[in-house]
Amino acid sequence: MRLWLAVRCFFKALFHADFANQCLLLLNGTPATPDPVAVAPASAPTLLKSPRNDAITLLAALQREARFVDIVNESLDGYSDAQIGAAARDVLRDCGKVLARVFALRPVLEHAEGATVQVPAGYESECYRLTGDVSREPPFAGKLMHAGWQATKCDLPTWTGSGKGALVVAPAEVQLG
Amino acid sequence: MIEKERSMTAKYVVGIDLGTTNCVLAYVAIETKSPQVELLEIPQLVATSTIESRPSLPSFLYIAPEHEATSGALGLPWQREMPLAVGEYARRRGAEMPDRTVAAAKSWLCHSGVDRRQPLLPEHAPPEVAKISPVAASRRYLEHLVAAWNAKFPEAPLAQQQLVLTVPASFDAAARELTREAAIAAGLPESLVFLEEPQAAVYSWLVARGDAWRRDLSEGDRLLVCDVGGGTTDLTLIDVAEADGELELRRLAVGDHLLVGGDNMDLTLAHRVAELFAEQGVKLDAWQSVSLWHSCRDAKETLLAADAPESHRVSVLGRGSKLIGGTVTVDVPRQLAVDLLVGGFFPQCAIIDRPQRRRASGFQEIGLPYQADVAITRHLAAFLTAHAGQNDRSAAPTHVLFNGGVFKADAFRSLVLDRLGEWSPADRPVRELPGPRDLDFAVARGAAFYGWTKQQGGMRIRSGAARSYYVGIETAGLAIPGAPRPLRALCVVPFGMEEGTAVDVPSNEFGLVLGEPAHFRFFSSAVRQQDKPGALLPTIDEEQLAETDSLETMLEAGSDDAETYVPVKFQSRITELGVFELWCVSTTSDRRWKLAFSIRDDAPEAAS
Repeated sequence: MRLWLAVRCFFKALFHADFANQCLLLLNGTPATPDPVAVAPASAPTLLKSPRNDAITLLAALQREARFVDIVNESLDGYSDAQIGAAARDVLRDCGKVLARVFALRPVLEHAEGATVQVPAGYESECYRLTGDVSREPPFAGKLMHAGWQATKCDLPTWTGSGKGALVVAPAEVQLG
Repeated sequence: MIEKERSMTAKYVVGIDLGTTNCVLAYVAIETKSPQVELLEIPQLVATSTIESRPSLPSFLYIAPEHEATSGALGLPWQREMPLAVGEYARRRGAEMPDRTVAAAKSWLCHSGVDRRQPLLPEHAPPEVAKISPVAASRRYLEHLVAAWNAKFPEAPLAQQQLVLTVPASFDAAARELTREAAIAAGLPESLVFLEEPQAAVYSWLVARGDAWRRDLSEGDRLLVCDVGGGTTDLTLIDVAEADGELELRRLAVGDHLLVGGDNMDLTLAHRVAELFAEQGVKLDAWQSVSLWHSCRDAKETLLAADAPESHRVSVLGRGSKLIGGTVTVDVPRQLAVDLLVGGFFPQCAIIDRPQRRRASGFQEIGLPYQADVAITRHLAAFLTAHAGQNDRSAAPTHVLFNGGVFKADAFRSLVLDRLGEWSPADRPVRELPGPRDLDFAVARGAAFYGWTKQQGGMRIRSGAARSYYVGIETAGLAIPGAPRPLRALCVVPFGMEEGTAVDVPSNEFGLVLGEPAHFRFFSSAVRQQDKPGALLPTIDEEQLAETDSLETMLEAGSDDAETYVPVKFQSRITELGVFELWCVSTTSDRRWKLAFSIRDDAPEAAS
């Protein structure tokens, strides 16, 4: 049975380019064509992997809830500081709410800025940026200039759409009637 | 028996706060000695095709037009295509599309003037929108919670867990019945029990406080739970007593259902600020008005704070992408906010003052029976006076537990404490309970903890029926043409009647006709705590008795019934699950008929 199959495959691969390509994919361990049923979750009520970049989803949240994209794209020419301040006050407050919900940001070091802090030997360079006399060997003691920020979680929304919408940060709003 | 089996398979106790503006689900493992109550993160639509998990599900429902629904943009992780949306997206759509958005379905549930199984909502929907009933809307919110839970715990489906569902203390038996109906239809277990929301807040405080609460309260103290949510105010008094050397909490009284809350305050301020804009020649459109409403929520907290500035700038951002250019601002003086909000909602008043019958200030929509007087302090005074017992020095509480988002603002807590202080005797000061506040989630957390204490033992609040109930009985005597017979009220459920008990109501016999429906008007009272079963009130005092949905039953005639007339007496029961039942029991045979609420449009009858 398998012998006959092998013979059929031999000849078909020899004479049909498409079939030959599919054989190649099979031999390399990749499915020839994605099975649409297998890709869709069978019954799993879990969140789908979003087909869009999370950066767009974050930007969309900041725009939706805080008008962030609107304000940074607007020319400030011709507005007084008071006008800008009036709008920015609301935008900044609402941006803060989004960041707090999504990232729950905390300072890297829980000390007041200006305080003396310890930098351990074998510190991670992602967590500390050292300035001044860095020629000595750690551990160090130094003055905290900026407490840093770190996310304690990353709970971004999941986008479930498809197609063109993947790049849409804010939909066009159209009033009917 | 089923009860037992269920409790053997249940892994969690789940508490659900089905709120007027937000739903929250909390849970705790049953088999634990130190209960850790967790909140379920609820996946929900926050924008089209965008799912985010949040600890609360806004109680809003958006009925999408078909082209939006079929696009799949409202899909959820557990259902690809949805004809409607609940939660955050529905709340946001509510601002833009009020005609297609259901809000405050819960307030409709206890509105006995309408048939709450009929599709009534959204109230002002155009004819092409398929309306939905208040019961069905509540069911939709609960279905969403069930699906969210089952997605997270596929091994422990919600239908198999112990469930505690909270209801306002002021919900009468009919409103509870409808809530139960929605819950069972949504797939919650039949074994679910109800807990009054203010009590749930106390349980949450107890679990957070641990054993320290025995030092915070002592015998003779009286605790006021003051729960002011977005749309409703719910009041409860709890006494601290001592029994067998142990402190005990006893629920003393609950208030009436008051449709006034934080949203009224925001709207009142927004309405006045819109006038300030109009004075500047700026007319706000509907979209901007909603934006203004949200800004006013922050403004009210800033302007009433202890260190409030003399004025606060309120901005409404431009709608188009030209944001700064379109932004309009107005300065709102502190005094204006104080006059409106303190004067309107927390005015100084004497303990003997009563809510005004006519509307004094604030917003009102058609439909729901919103409070005529929005002064929370006057309602509070009336509540405390009504429950000052005989020879009681004062009904004044010694402690206050705040609940509801309104009290995130220090100013509102201070205002309530100030008024209570003015009414209290000098030797009986009033203060807020110590410990952390959990104003948004306490009710759900407390419900889960209450369910856990039912299983594992622990501090329980002694309560029983929060209201006494009465059946309307027509007086005998000569009929006067054109005049209804005077009605008397027969007490069938005394205040404080405990769950799992039954009462045979002593009374004369009533004759019912077989083969015809029997129909009784039904009343409840939160203030007549002294009436015993069988007590007959000669008249119906509307100050004390509130009419609720009527009760009816069909008395089927058997084929061998010689008589067409059955003499009956009443028997009332409150089941272990807190469900109220009233039976007509034949005095000549062993037959009995259960009365059911007739939840239909009783408004004309109630008015007559």
